[in-house]
Amino acid sequence: MAKLMNAREYEESLRRLKLTVYQFGKRVENVVDDPLIRPSMNAVASTYEYAHRPEYEDILTTKSHLTGEKINRFTHIHQSVDDLVKKSKMGRLMGSLTACCFQRCVGMDALNALSITTHAIDEKYGTEYHKRFLKYLLYVQENDLVCDGAMTDPKGDRSLAPSKQRDPDMFMRVTEELPDGIVVSGAKAHQTGAVNSHEIIIMPTITMREEDKDYAISCALPADAQGITYIMGRQSCDTRKLEGMTFDRGNMFYGGHEALVVFDKVFVPWERVFMYKEYEFTTALVENFAAYHRQSYACKVGVGDVLIGAAQTIAEFNGAEKASHVKDKIIEMNHLNETLFCGCIACAAEGHREASGTYQNDLLLANVHKQNITRFPYEIARLAQDIAGGLVVTCPSEQDLKSPEVGAWVEKYFKGRTDIPTEHRLRILRLIENITMGTAAVGYLTESMHGAGSPQAQRIMIARLVNMKQKQKVARQLCGIDKVDQIR
Amino acid sequence: MRHRQGRSDTLIVGVKYCGGCKAGYDRVAAVDSLKTRLSGVVEFVAPVDAAASLILVVTGCRTACAEIDSADGRPLTYITSAEDAERWAADILRIHS
Ligand SMILES: Cc1cc2nc3c(=O)[nH]c(=O)nc-3n(C[C@H](O)[C@H](O)[C@H](O)COP(=O)(O)OP(=O)(O)OC[C@H]3O[C@@H](n4cnc5c(N)ncnc54)[C@H](O)[C@@H]3O)c2cc1C
Repeated sequence: MAKLMNAREYEESLRRLKLTVYQFGKRVENVVDDPLIRPSMNAVASTYEYAHRPEYEDILTTKSHLTGEKINRFTHIHQSVDDLVKKSKMGRLMGSLTACCFQRCVGMDALNALSITTHAIDEKYGTEYHKRFLKYLLYVQENDLVCDGAMTDPKGDRSLAPSKQRDPDMFMRVTEELPDGIVVSGAKAHQTGAVNSHEIIIMPTITMREEDKDYAISCALPADAQGITYIMGRQSCDTRKLEGMTFDRGNMFYGGHEALVVFDKVFVPWERVFMYKEYEFTTALVENFAAYHRQSYACKVGVGDVLIGAAQTIAEFNGAEKASHVKDKIIEMNHLNETLFCGCIACAAEGHREASGTYQNDLLLANVHKQNITRFPYEIARLAQDIAGGLVVTCPSEQDLKSPEVGAWVEKYFKGRTDIPTEHRLRILRLIENITMGTAAVGYLTESMHGAGSPQAQRIMIARLVNMKQKQKVARQLCGIDKVDQIR
Repeated sequence: MRHRQGRSDTLIVGVKYCGGCKAGYDRVAAVDSLKTRLSGVVEFVAPVDAAASLILVVTGCRTACAEIDSADGRPLTYITSAEDAERWAADILRIHS
């Protein structure tokens, strides 16, 4: 019987994990209540809580194709184009409710990619990866788990293949084969939501060749498996979260996190191994994951919704909302944001069925969407800062506003429209700061740039996927170089 | 139209929302306002409640992508905007009076 956890149950499930987490050089004993990590836990928890709300459940829940039971969509394998479209809508919805990275898409994308690739390997080699995968999927769905999608290796010298690196651990690899499983070592960098996850799904990060076959592995591990250590990444302005619940944190409730995850001789039982040295399937796994994950940047549209709302609000607080250029900038922000939405809906709507029965996005459009994501949020953020004014980077702290000595001056000199409390003005500015250069900018900007692959990765795919021959053929015919083969 | 036993004058309506990814209005506020305006006339329940004789599908936009399996063949009325909600409330009050 599948359980659909709520936020409280999710939090309790995390408390049962025995994770080894380091932050600022010290072991974090209580991960769930750590003030720096907690907002990111809240963001994941919202994917559980909102699944129970009638006004969101249509997007956040669906039926398992394995059991027919109601499950959280974040554990679903897409069974139709409609499922893919709903996934894009879910990204926007959750982004618009949290204004940050809610961390749960990457595991969903790993599951979907594996559902296709395990099937393909079995077709060729008569292996049983797909059967294992489905058993694992059932476990994930029935327990409503968060999976960390762990693809990115540290990679060392970018010009060298895994087997050519001086340090062999620069890419994750198998170090030992045992009768009941394998032993893996290495690390995965930038892992989104790592310490909020119950499971880690490991995938290769690039195409592997025969000489790299020890690196061509995919498997799943419990997040607290022996030998796994998490080293938390820092985010710009992160220690504002240590200042209590002041509005200087910008987003009062939510945030994201990334971590370096180190695997030091970790044992993986065979039933959790989904690819083992079949190096010729690494390209398919990476590309399938990338196509799903590039679609997942639908979330940035939701974050954009909040940023646009904040920009309009500060314009009104400043008394500038009627200026034609301000109105035009808000239009431009919306135009860019909805253009992004077009991309993630289009790649889903043009999706197709794979041999495993899983639905996959249109690869070209997913790459185009992600390429736009590497740019438009930066422009939306620039426009938000333009509208916000310089105070977005110069305003004093909440403590100064509350100070008996200087509070009255902060109140007086940072007032905009007289009917708006100064505190409201400062709060909305802090939110804009948070999204455009604070902790949430990690997700809204730099993750938009590099997450799911740096811009060049999409351009390579775009070049490969467009039908250039057809474009040239028609061009040549219409200008009279070649004979027209169609009736006008 | 079926009515809740013992309260034969009350119309039982199941409310099914879409997921609300880019709602053009506040769907929950619209339903709350219907609940207030139609109090004593309509009882709003979950769409899975078998007592509901009509399903009100409240969607944030005209794409109206809500999954309507739970309607189980019962008649559907779509609300895709705050104006739709107003119109529907007026219709119900007119029929009821
Ligand atoms: C906020 C955030 C969250 C993330 N979350 C996850 C996650 O949950 N799971 C996960 O697996 N990964 C995650 N990633 C990792 C992401 O996929 C990588 O950042 C991305 O693939 C780029 O890798 P890199 O950061 O090592 O940069 P690099 O690969 O070092 O790229 C830097 C630049 O060098 C160029 N470059 C690199 N190698 C070559 C080459 N061989 N030839 C030519 N040019 C090259 C790139 O195009 C780019 O311009 C996340 C990243 C960020 C920033």
